[in-house]
Amino acid sequence: MTVEQLAQCDGMCALACPAPEREICGVYIGDLLSWVMGRAEADNVWITIMSNVNIIAVAALADTACIILAEGVTLEPSVLETAMAKEINVLQSAKPIYETALLLHELC
Amino acid sequence: MKELSLNILDIAQNSIKAGAAHIDVLLDETAETLCLTIRDDGCGMTAEVVRSVTDPFYTTRTTRSVGMGIPLLKLAAEQTGGTFSIESVSEQDDPVRHGTCVQALFNKNHLDFTPLGDVVSTVCTLIQGAPSVDWHFCHTYGEHSAAVDTAEMRQVLGDVPLDSFEVLDWIRQSLLEEYAGFDTQ
Repeated sequence: MTVEQLAQCDGMCALACPAPEREICGVYIGDLLSWVMGRAEADNVWITIMSNVNIIAVAALADTACIILAEGVTLEPSVLETAMAKEINVLQSAKPIYETALLLHELC
Repeated sequence: MKELSLNILDIAQNSIKAGAAHIDVLLDETAETLCLTIRDDGCGMTAEVVRSVTDPFYTTRTTRSVGMGIPLLKLAAEQTGGTFSIESVSEQDDPVRHGTCVQALFNKNHLDFTPLGDVVSTVCTLIQGAPSVDWHFCHTYGEHSAAVDTAEMRQVLGDVPLDSFEVLDWIRQSLLEEYAGFDTQ
């Protein structure tokens, strides 16, 4: 499944999608950025509730396919700009992390 | 990072890389706050670089485009409602009084406060990793304090290297004894 296809699923909303064709493989969940940095794998979907600019850097380092902000968390316009500039996909889910993960389990 | 002591390790490595001869690692604690100061006399940074180091996409390493040490410390402080500052004077601007000072203030009672963790191991690791640096570590909490000053130690030790096992073990035991006096650690 690609990030673009995921973004079109019910309950998902694309906040920034500069690399829509990226293939998704696996899921990582976490909010402690230094922890995620060393553990999320390339092409993972990363689910978090953190929204500062550092998440874009962590996603770039770990080379995740996309970030999903759970609980309807939004990004500041400046962070969205950074996401576009660094080609980091960011989706939003209105649901809590667990329900978002369940949805991904059904889809992938 | 799960412990602030890991942030300290990370930031102090920057000071070592900046060629510092003297590095202060200071923790000033009250019942409500913890203030961390890391001050060095290294090569410093220009104003432009100082502005960019809190940007997670800035790094002095050439292997990747993202440096996370300073951004993560800033985040850790600010997510407790605290503050973060960094000041630096580059060697080009002032050949005598150059260096960098990083300061982070934490509200200890905030739910998102990261525990200090094993700071004694951090101090010993730093001394072992850069034994030629004059390290001054001092943690104060009210009337209690735990401190080590390797410049002072070097005068007493003479030819005995600071990174020998016996010396490092003595530093560790002495810090642990001083921390034992901190009743609220």
